[in-house]
Amino acid sequence: MRLRSLLPLVLLVPAVPWSQARIDRQVGTFRAQEEVLYLWSGEHVKRMFPGFETLAADIYWLRTVQYFGGERLFAREKRFELLGPLVDIATTLDPRLEIAYRYGAIFLSEPFPVGAGRPRQGVELLEKGVRNLPHSWRLRQDLGFFLHLFLGETERAAAVLNEAAEVPGAAFWLRMMAADLLTKGGSRADARRMWQQMYEQAEEGIIKQNAGLRLEILDSLDAADRLTDRVAEFERRRGRRPARLAELREGGLWGGPLVDVAGTPFGYDEKTGRVFISHESPMWRPD
Amino acid sequence: MSRLLAVAANTFRETVRERVLYNLVFFAILMTLSGLLLGQLSIRQDEKIIKDVGLAAMDLFGTLIAVFIGVGLVSKEIERRSLYPLLAKPLSRDELFLGKFAGLAFTLLVNLAVMTAGLYLTLLFTGRPAGALLLAAVYPIYLGLVLVVALAMLFSTVSSSSALASVFTVGVVVAGRFTDVIRNMREVAPGVPPWAIELLYAALPNFRNFDFKDRVAYGDPVPPDVLLWVTVYGAVYVAAVLVIGLASFRSRDFQ
Repeated sequence: MRLRSLLPLVLLVPAVPWSQARIDRQVGTFRAQEEVLYLWSGEHVKRMFPGFETLAADIYWLRTVQYFGGERLFAREKRFELLGPLVDIATTLDPRLEIAYRYGAIFLSEPFPVGAGRPRQGVELLEKGVRNLPHSWRLRQDLGFFLHLFLGETERAAAVLNEAAEVPGAAFWLRMMAADLLTKGGSRADARRMWQQMYEQAEEGIIKQNAGLRLEILDSLDAADRLTDRVAEFERRRGRRPARLAELREGGLWGGPLVDVAGTPFGYDEKTGRVFISHESPMWRPD
Repeated sequence: MSRLLAVAANTFRETVRERVLYNLVFFAILMTLSGLLLGQLSIRQDEKIIKDVGLAAMDLFGTLIAVFIGVGLVSKEIERRSLYPLLAKPLSRDELFLGKFAGLAFTLLVNLAVMTAGLYLTLLFTGRPAGALLLAAVYPIYLGLVLVVALAMLFSTVSSSSALASVFTVGVVVAGRFTDVIRNMREVAPGVPPWAIELLYAALPNFRNFDFKDRVAYGDPVPPDVLLWVTVYGAVYVAAVLVIGLASFRSRDFQ
């Protein structure tokens, strides 16, 4: 008798995931946008958690990390539109959450699909961090770095690095780096020093991994430039450009590898003689 | 005095037997999971998040216990008519009211002490620093909880049902956490006279005064004189609420 009364469950239990799948199929693509609508103001979210703002900030920060990691690693069609609102809410709920500014700026600024490809938003986040934590020289340092590395605003970057140098306890080299930026106009060597600083300052984690990858990209760019020089040398000696990069090795002009740090063969344009990081490579970034 | 203490001891036993233990089991699970999982999920914010979770849980669960058990202490006795045999004994209404208040305040103290020990153990076992500074957040939380108990008991004496008393208490506690909004009310409601805002701001219990969770989670010290004034504020407010509650309890006709 009791078993018979449970028989409807045989029909009902499979109906739940079936109907869920139908709902997902219908509204799945719109769901992220709907969530953004609910999440748009940190101040409104703050009013919902009186006395528990920092706990709410932790929850939003965990959600941010989970969202970014999920989209970056697992999503087929990567979408980062919730990233900005999530970090904004986390930092509005807890304006002292320094890690959210630093990591959030990386998540937002790195080019798509590694990050959200929204460097202006990343810089705005760091500016918010500098306003809320005026005694943090690291946030000002990051702001200066990001202004130069992602937006190419070298003069403003130098000014911010000089401001960072004024903060008590700041690193001694900030002023030198600001001067170098102004005199050299932002060379690859400056970029290398900035990423090297970020790599050395960061503990194990995403910032360190990202800075390490950026250094490897710079190594690959240097290798590509050296190969371009060798192509020019080949042309000077033989009166023509090599058809393949392997000809450089066969001609005794290059003894090193013809692949970037990730092991992907370098791209080569015979018409211009330029060697570059292949679009197929994880080292490739848009100019 | 001995009768008051006897009521307090009885209330303590009764409340501990009721629901407080479930809260502690849930807290233990919460802290264990926080300690195990947050290190991997939060990008090295685990220490701060464990402290935030622990302190917020003390505040939240403590408030829930204070409201719902506090309201039940008097109003359920009235609803179940179990108050009459008590009042027939050589026991004054003041002793009964204050004894129940003291009993629940002690239950909350024990509850908070166990939760604090749980938080310290989680921090120690996961290798994170756990200084005495945490107590600078726990102590004001306790003061706030005692005030919630006083309010819950006051509303249970003036209201005819425990549900209504719970609604009133929750309303005042929530409003007391929005005191900053009340103070700046003129920005959104310019028509409200300033004296009304000042009156509301002064009259409502300011539960923000008891909140040092974020400061402590970031390792910022809480100045002793601030804690002293918070203690004075809490004691004065609790005493005032108890005086009104006692007056209401004394004059209430239980026929």
